[in-house]
Amino acid sequence: MKGTIINIQHYAVQDGPGIRTLVFFKGCPLKCAWCCNPESQSPGSQLRYISYRCKQCMECVSACTNSGVSSEEGHMSHSFELCNECNSKICIDKCNYDAVALTGKDISSEELLASIAADISFYRNSGGGVTFSGGEPFAQHEFLVEMLQKCKALDIHTAIETCGWASEKALRKAIPYTDLFLFDLKIADPDLHLEFTRKPVGPILANLELLSSEKADIIIRFPVIAGITDSTKNLEGIAAIMYSNNLKQINLMPFHSLGTDKYEEHGMKYTLDQIKEFDPGQITAIRDFFLKQDFICEIS
Amino acid sequence: MDEQTACFTGREIHSAPALSRTSFLKIRYLDSPLMVDTEYIRHLTDSHKQTDGLEVQLRRATDHAYALAHMTPVIHNGDLIAGNKTRFIRGAIPYVNYAASPFLKEMRKEEQDAQSKHSEQGMGGGIGKTISEAEQNGLRLISGKFLISKDDYEGFKDVCGYWEDKCFMEQGDRLWKNHFGKADFIVNGWEIGLYTAPHEPCPEGRLILDYETALEKGYEQIIRETEDKINAFIPENMNGASSLFFWKAAVIVLKGASGFTSNYAAEAEKLAGKENDPARKAELEQMAETCRQVPLKPPRNFREAIQAFWFTYLLGHIEGSHLGFSPGRLDMLLWPYFNHDPDITVEKAIPLFEELFVKMTQIEYIASLSWQGLGHGNLYQNLILGGVDEKGEPVNNPVSMAILQAQINMQMTQPTLSVWWDEKLDPEFLMKAAECVKTGVGYPAFFNQATYVAHELETSGLPVEIIRKHSAIGGCTEPTLQGMSHGIVQAGFINHGKLIDLVLNEGLDPLTGIRMFEAGNPQTFEEVRSYYLKMMRETVRNWQQYWNYVMIAHRNTVPLIFCSVFVKDCLGGGKGMDDGGAALNQSVTTLSSGMVNVANSLAVIKKMCFDDNVCTLDELFHAVSQNWKGYESLRKKALNVPHWGNDYDFADDMFLGLFDEYCTWVKGQNNYLGLPYDPSMLAISTPVPFGKVCNAFPDGRLKGEPLADGVSSPFPGSDICGPTAVIRSSSKIDHRKIRGGLLNLKFHPSALKGENGSKNLLALIKTYFEKPGFHVQFNVVDSRMLKDAQLNPQNYRDLVVRVAGFSAYWVEMSKALQDQVIERTEHSL
Ligand code: SF4
Ligand code: SF4
Repeated sequence: MKGTIINIQHYAVQDGPGIRTLVFFKGCPLKCAWCCNPESQSPGSQLRYISYRCKQCMECVSACTNSGVSSEEGHMSHSFELCNECNSKICIDKCNYDAVALTGKDISSEELLASIAADISFYRNSGGGVTFSGGEPFAQHEFLVEMLQKCKALDIHTAIETCGWASEKALRKAIPYTDLFLFDLKIADPDLHLEFTRKPVGPILANLELLSSEKADIIIRFPVIAGITDSTKNLEGIAAIMYSNNLKQINLMPFHSLGTDKYEEHGMKYTLDQIKEFDPGQITAIRDFFLKQDFICEIS
Repeated sequence: MDEQTACFTGREIHSAPALSRTSFLKIRYLDSPLMVDTEYIRHLTDSHKQTDGLEVQLRRATDHAYALAHMTPVIHNGDLIAGNKTRFIRGAIPYVNYAASPFLKEMRKEEQDAQSKHSEQGMGGGIGKTISEAEQNGLRLISGKFLISKDDYEGFKDVCGYWEDKCFMEQGDRLWKNHFGKADFIVNGWEIGLYTAPHEPCPEGRLILDYETALEKGYEQIIRETEDKINAFIPENMNGASSLFFWKAAVIVLKGASGFTSNYAAEAEKLAGKENDPARKAELEQMAETCRQVPLKPPRNFREAIQAFWFTYLLGHIEGSHLGFSPGRLDMLLWPYFNHDPDITVEKAIPLFEELFVKMTQIEYIASLSWQGLGHGNLYQNLILGGVDEKGEPVNNPVSMAILQAQINMQMTQPTLSVWWDEKLDPEFLMKAAECVKTGVGYPAFFNQATYVAHELETSGLPVEIIRKHSAIGGCTEPTLQGMSHGIVQAGFINHGKLIDLVLNEGLDPLTGIRMFEAGNPQTFEEVRSYYLKMMRETVRNWQQYWNYVMIAHRNTVPLIFCSVFVKDCLGGGKGMDDGGAALNQSVTTLSSGMVNVANSLAVIKKMCFDDNVCTLDELFHAVSQNWKGYESLRKKALNVPHWGNDYDFADDMFLGLFDEYCTWVKGQNNYLGLPYDPSMLAISTPVPFGKVCNAFPDGRLKGEPLADGVSSPFPGSDICGPTAVIRSSSKIDHRKIRGGLLNLKFHPSALKGENGSKNLLALIKTYFEKPGFHVQFNVVDSRMLKDAQLNPQNYRDLVVRVAGFSAYWVEMSKALQDQVIERTEHSL
């Protein structure tokens, strides 16, 4: 079977134990307002234009037969909707400066497995393995389960980083082959969750309950976003969810606003005006909040 | 960019000197100008004028001993360890007995050293200070960055004039330029940058003395034993006569050395007499007492052991113009003294090592501009910790921990620390080593002892116990047997990149128009490869033979006597190192760098011109000759052909094939001691100057860009598959075949954060060494931080960065080298 991924990262050390290979799946059902990997949202491959590399040589303009790209002062201007549908994407070939590229590629499960398995000795010596991330791995659940099975057959430690949006059936299929779930919890309040992620929180919590009742290993990942997720009310809500599911560990993911270039490069719009930069003291305060309630809490 | 650079991720480990005293020593070092001290060479010259007619070993020993005994003992404020190479904080001895012409050329305002165009020196920090101070105080600037007083300068001119026709370099030149049929090839090779500049100014190094014997016996006992040999001597053959000279020379030189150390005892006593501060007075009295005991007699405690080591180390260093002269396994050497000293603790040992490391860093060297540029002023003093002993038991001990902590605290550029990795080492020690890596200082480098033991078993045939016990690193990354190996080694490099230029241009150098080979225009892939191999072989053989001639002159002008006393088994066999007296003589290597670019270029040629028919060989060669101008799309395709270091067999096999050919060929030639040369691939900072003199390459590299680094580091920017792929590629090499190789990895601090970060780093090392790899070292920096350091050097005065086999102060590195470090792909988010 084939899946669509954005890339494979070797020697990843912050998404599960040990030295890991991180596979970014493409496609995500949620649309979090703060997302710093916007290119992982849509399931298909997308054109990317990296303006600082562009020398405005016009090669792409003369090669394109669809009028997908034109020149504006200082940079090129793309009709991204047209480009993402374009089959030839001849401009990528023609650009000598890697200023246009494709985000997302199809890969067979065999090829992906070979890339993961190449680092088996690193996993063995470090207690590491593979982490399927994204995007949302469950958005390609058949491919995901096939990969999990293949990795387990080689005795590779498997982790899934998920936003929790999955069908119960898919989840149940994945559980036996998954050593660790890195489960994102963002906003406990249903209305705010819907507002900021465009999806209700209910099904996500149901999935979390299912995982915990099946005794899966779970670490909660909590994005700390100033002004959105860091309210006392939300922290208490998250802690309550952890209690009720008998969860032990929550890792904080301090949010950075470095991803905004990627919106522009993919012809997407960043909707949050301004994310406040938090100070490090605030992060430690949040960690202390969780530590006080006897959770294990690390800052990633 | 300013905004970005302002918010870089900081380093995790910060530390400071253990005492205000050692902090003072470090600051004093950082604030001191670089000075030339002509005292040693003036005394040596005075003696040399009197010793005409003596047998060469006796003459060398007499001159050196005279100079040693007449050097001014200088004890600086705050010092507890006695002994300095010069009278200045940062000082260099100009060894004009080795090579006078570089200085004479400069003094006579002849054109700058012809090869200086191949190198570039940094101008920040202490060097910048040197220049401004020169102007203020009416001192003279010499060799680009050193100061010399006006008086010294005049006397120095005479000394240089005296040595002009007598020095080692001149004697060597007369020999090989007249007798070696390929002399023109060598001279032209220098001109086009096929070889590094003549390295007679610093021919020695990668040498580690037998400090164990020096401490255990003391000089007095060694003198007695040697005199017994002389007394028992009966002349029975001509070689025996040479033994007599060597033994006599050994006694002379040891007595001179004893004079040197006794002068320090007297000076300490004198200063103590004048000292009003009771605490300092006590320190000076203890120093005097120590210098009366060691190195003449064995040390009685840990402090004395450090002093005894330092004296022998220093005296060895003074004798020759060394690069890579190394302390070796200091934790193993000092452990018995630490263990039996009831008064010493790790806490007390740390500041002693801090001071020792300042003293090592204070040694400067002055040679030709091109060599200063290549080595970036670095002396490559390598201190290696850990590993296993003769029985295969791990060596890490409290001294190892104290040494690591001292360098974590001080972050001096010297000595560069290394760790002999072994499965059995204590995890606490390895975690401490990882902590040191995380300071970002670039050391320790990790070496796989088992790989070297396998190499040396095959090469030397010595018993495994001896190899285990003595294995150490001499210089940047070359393993050697401590206290047993021949240490006058060929320091020059062959530029494989230049061979690409020559293959592409029918044997003619495209940049200078100099013809090196008569060769045709290759038509097939096999022809390209075989032309390269043919040229590589001739280049290697000529280089080796040239050096064999040079070594005859070394033996007849500047044979190492003091150093030979402390190399097994020169004294026993009655032969100095120059005569093959060392237990291991196969330590002479042939160095080269840039083979990765050859492999990548061959991969591109095969794939584009023959497998995929993207273009013809002529078209490709033409595009390269135009530095790819107008052929950007072809260049893009060339860059997209898998390069070495990404675990693609296609490119990797190309490299492995060449590597085998190189090793086999190097070993097929004999060194001047009649044994096969040993292949090695280091890089020091050759990728920058070598790249500068090369045209564009078929692998997509542009004209003038640096070459790939070392034996197995990928070309900067081409390692797109992450550090594990680099390691997988690199581990395809059989590292047991070579003496030394190198793999640089650069990490963002976040990839190594916390205890888990350290553990993962150690797991990565373990995985590589199981394969088995040989060497890996890490730069833990943030490239934004480095860019900021380029813009604001004043804020980074003591930033140390790993370059190749060494660490250097960032502000003293050339812009080109800085760029290269920045570019090395950052293996992190
Ligand atoms: S081909 Fe590339 S460099 Fe040229 S204008 Fe298009 S995007 Fe820019
Ligand atoms: S992706 Fe297609 S439509 Fe868009 S610029 Fe490239 S060639 Fe034209």
